[in-house]
Amino acid sequence: MTCQEFWNTMPELTGEADAEAAAHRRECPVCAAAFDTHGALAAGLRAVAGEFGRLKAPGRVEAKLLAAFRGQAGLVAPPPARRWWSPVLAWGAAAVVVAAAFPLFVGRGALPRAPLANRPAAAGTAAIDWTALLPPDMAGDAQAGAFIPLPDADRLPQDEDLNVVRVEVPRSAMIALGYPVTADRAAERVRADVVMGSDGLARAVRFLDE
Amino acid sequence: MTETPAEKDDELLLRMRSGDEQAFIALYRRRQAAIYRFALHMSGSAATAEDVVQEVFLALIRDDCGYDPELGTLAGYLFGIARKLVLRQLERRRTDVALGADEDDLAIPAMAASPDPLAILTRKEGIAALRRAVQMLPPRYREVVVLCDLEEVDYSEASFVLGCPIGTVRSRLHRARALLLEKLHRDGHSRPLDALDPARCSI
Repeated sequence: MTCQEFWNTMPELTGEADAEAAAHRRECPVCAAAFDTHGALAAGLRAVAGEFGRLKAPGRVEAKLLAAFRGQAGLVAPPPARRWWSPVLAWGAAAVVVAAAFPLFVGRGALPRAPLANRPAAAGTAAIDWTALLPPDMAGDAQAGAFIPLPDADRLPQDEDLNVVRVEVPRSAMIALGYPVTADRAAERVRADVVMGSDGLARAVRFLDE
Repeated sequence: MTETPAEKDDELLLRMRSGDEQAFIALYRRRQAAIYRFALHMSGSAATAEDVVQEVFLALIRDDCGYDPELGTLAGYLFGIARKLVLRQLERRRTDVALGADEDDLAIPAMAASPDPLAILTRKEGIAALRRAVQMLPPRYREVVVLCDLEEVDYSEASFVLGCPIGTVRSRLHRARALLLEKLHRDGHSRPLDALDPARCSI
């Protein structure tokens, strides 16, 4: 057996099971020395394995996985999966809402507050009669459409301090509320009545020039 | 229900699939340490290793990758997922350092000071030096050393994890050990490299 043939058997991996390889090692001091070197390396690798053998993942990993397992098994609601597009979607939705609502607040300023007598007296979650909030000078506008409650407005307490302001907005703002608007009319100004809550946020809106 | 002493991975997995939390815990505790160490040795980063363990077992919970017991063991399957995740991380970080590349910052001072570096491999400083040398191997050699030498995975299972024939596992391990010796001796300068190169002897 030549040296090359000896190493082709990869004796450091097989433990020199081949008798011919063992004979070569006895005959060749260079291969014998190299073989011993491999033995030292194997011992070193075992020492590394021993040194790091007790390492394991921190306990918090198990806790997270257990929560995920329970969620998967339907034991509790799983944490919401974070998708790459969810922040984009959230910010996009926020931008649309802000773009639609912003012009509603920059109109010609607040008109006189609706008299308290005109406000619905009943509290609770029943549908709000938005037109009852209108001051007399705004109530008789025949061209006005119906009030459109903004999200969750119907669930607000009806004894909330509300008032109505009339503003002008670009017609494109109507898109967010489901109105069809053609591109050539998007820049037109339309009048709108906006019901404002005491927190300064809009509760409902109607357009006067649909 | 609790884990019986001899319960196999596949039996635990079956129970886990039916929603048995204790089976999942048992399986996790049985396998997580090896996955963690594999990822740690491969990446050199505890944070990466932690992430890898989490992702591996999340994949198991969600059955993302479709474990097939006909193809290999569950341990091999978990190592396989961990390997893909680690290699992806390494690719992203581009921290692969091949032997012979710019190694000035990765020299092994403890070895250099020794008259015979191999003699101290089992001492503390030698262990640290050898570990660093393993981490400097190219990934394809590093993974086989970590699996077969450090985690004592058998060649058959390693071939399943690495997706290559057993012969390739053996030849990579053979080459990887030669690279390790070359690295250790180059830094130690205690013995002529010729004496360690089997192809250069004369018989």
